[in-house]
Amino acid sequence: MIWTVMQTSWRRLKNNRSELFLTFVVPVIFFSIFALIFGSRDSSSSTPKIKVAIANAHPSELSNKAVLLLGEQKSLRISEHANSTKAGDSKTTVATLDRATAEDLVRRGMVSAAIVFSKPTDQALPNNAPKIEILTDSFDQVASQVLAAIVQKAMLTATAEIAKSSNPINGSAMNGIPNAAMQPVDVQHALYTRANSSGSAITPSNPLIQSPDTMSMLPQVAVVDVIGGKKTNPVVAMYAAGIAVMFLLFSATTASGSLLEERENSTLDRLLCSRLTMDQLLLGKWAFLTAIGATQLTLMFVWGSLVFGIDLLHHLEGFAAMTLVTSGAASSFALMLAALCKTRMQLGWVSTIVILSMSALGGSMVPRYLMSETIQRAGLLTFNAWALEGFNKVFWREMPLTEIGTELAVLTVCGFGFIVAARVFAIRWERS
Amino acid sequence: MNVLATPELPAIQSTQQNDHSIFALSVVDLWKKYGDHQALSGTSFDVKPGERLALLGPNGAGKTTLIRSMCGRVRPDRGEILLFGKSIREPNVLQSMGVIPQDLAIYADLTAQENLECFGQLHGLRSRKLRERVKWALRWIGLEDRARDLTKNFSGGMKRRVNIACGVLHRPQILLLDEPTVGVDPQSRQRIFEMLDELSQEGTSIVLTTHHLDEAETRCDRIVIVDHGKVVADGTIDQLIEQTIGVQREVAIEATGLMVAAPPGLRWDATRQRFLCYVENVADELPGILERVQSVGGVITDMEVHQPDLHHVFLYLTGRELRE
Repeated sequence: MIWTVMQTSWRRLKNNRSELFLTFVVPVIFFSIFALIFGSRDSSSSTPKIKVAIANAHPSELSNKAVLLLGEQKSLRISEHANSTKAGDSKTTVATLDRATAEDLVRRGMVSAAIVFSKPTDQALPNNAPKIEILTDSFDQVASQVLAAIVQKAMLTATAEIAKSSNPINGSAMNGIPNAAMQPVDVQHALYTRANSSGSAITPSNPLIQSPDTMSMLPQVAVVDVIGGKKTNPVVAMYAAGIAVMFLLFSATTASGSLLEERENSTLDRLLCSRLTMDQLLLGKWAFLTAIGATQLTLMFVWGSLVFGIDLLHHLEGFAAMTLVTSGAASSFALMLAALCKTRMQLGWVSTIVILSMSALGGSMVPRYLMSETIQRAGLLTFNAWALEGFNKVFWREMPLTEIGTELAVLTVCGFGFIVAARVFAIRWERS
Repeated sequence: MNVLATPELPAIQSTQQNDHSIFALSVVDLWKKYGDHQALSGTSFDVKPGERLALLGPNGAGKTTLIRSMCGRVRPDRGEILLFGKSIREPNVLQSMGVIPQDLAIYADLTAQENLECFGQLHGLRSRKLRERVKWALRWIGLEDRARDLTKNFSGGMKRRVNIACGVLHRPQILLLDEPTVGVDPQSRQRIFEMLDELSQEGTSIVLTTHHLDEAETRCDRIVIVDHGKVVADGTIDQLIEQTIGVQREVAIEATGLMVAAPPGLRWDATRQRFLCYVENVADELPGILERVQSVGGVITDMEVHQPDLHHVFLYLTGRELRE
């Protein structure tokens, strides 16, 4: 009997191509997609770089040298925005940036962090040693920590190189930097060997680095969170949009399956035999799905506001705009998928594959800054990336409506394109 | 138009085919091909106002394509569908037609009343008119007391009735029904045909497809048989019988006893275990037949005289082989 049940189950599976595909092919596809997204980080050509702006507001030999060394860092990408002001001359460009501009770049999301060298206000600092600040956006929680270590390394190296060039024999202190810091090779070797040997990341918070003997050698770097610092619950604000957009897509595609249900049980025939046209049918369904999607997003953010402290009240304008265009585009996308598929089962697995892939690539599951640059660029082809960026600008960066024009425009165009595609695919249902 | 054609001969067309305005529905020389399969091959027939017409044919004969063409859901390669002389391609002409699909084309997660309101609105009914028609429909299908129940909880027969009501709310002059009684019990079938009779008496022309030949024979004024995409017979049941099998009656005799040979003029049907013959005049010929059976030693235990019916006509015209 058990054998018969197993045999029958296998025969049913064998005769159902969709189920076979879901069982054996879809997992491999998903594995490949995720491997592409996250596995490619190991490739040197596409390793994620931290996009930074550097403001050398108090130029000195030491800070200039440190800036040059930072520019040579493979893990950093100096902001093109800053470069564009002075035709690629990084020295001049860096000098032209002041702290306020650098902070603005961080706030607008143009860079992950900014390194600011300014005149020291603390008399205790050594002579000519600049005050170093890293202005961070805690949206990218990795960048600030990595950057602090990189800046410290650059400062140490710069100090040592200057000392070496000006007085290669004398090992006395220069510019007030402790003697220990003037032996960069040894210090760095010791520092990084110790850190790496323990398998830990080199960060300012690492106990290895902050031990009394090493801390005394390191230049002081102040990390300032310019965006998330005042927020009551920044993590929720960051991820609410990601989850919301992904579920919006899932619920919209599920609801759009009604179109295929109507097709399968001949209700579509009956509907189209009435005064209803296919245009009206699709637009009616689109309007309904959009209204449901907008309600769904609103409910989610209201809940987030009440329970998790998302500041909805002060971002109503941007939230309303993003919610409407995102819901509209998601509805169009769902209808396009439904019109493309032949059965609800097909819609089920196609939408699962497409939405999960888009969500992974677009940043709904894992922040895009953790992905390689190539994948980040590919992510811009997804619906999610633009929606998330828009919501992040509203809730995280607290930008006005005018600043999310690009995201609104892209999503609107996407929505229009998807609904037109849905209409084209639906032609086959009108006259069969 | 009472025309019959044997499978070997092309169907004879109506002599009134140029004056289609007097017909509620005219199907004129309809052709449709799907890939290599010729679904319709010059199908033509007319339906008079208030007439009940049964559209019969074996599976794959082209009935569904024909029905879908008539309601505008299939664009024929050639030919024309006219409602009261006007092409269905003209604006608003199709509004005088009601379509009842074979599947239960209603929303299972809506109540009976909500379904009726939905399809009433889609056919242009609004406010008071809509309320009146929904109320009428609920009474007509005998579901006034279940108006607010979800249709997914209804029996098959009740769902069928709601399915039909959704197609007649806008008072169509022509009603197309594709297998309206499939899968329902005899009581529900009876009720459905009573409902259709009411519509017919009010002047609605009814075209229905069915595999229940008795329904076509007893509930319809005229029968059109379609095979291989064309009309092979068109007329009343009497006309069809007369022009195919003829007026002969089948006599089946069950006999026992030791018979040395088959009675003259009768043949043995092993399947039915009966002697069979055909007579034109039962009263005149029957005594002689009985005598012949007895003359060879047979003792007659039972005897049946069958009048040819639509079943015989159908098999005569379309053959006995199974169709896909």
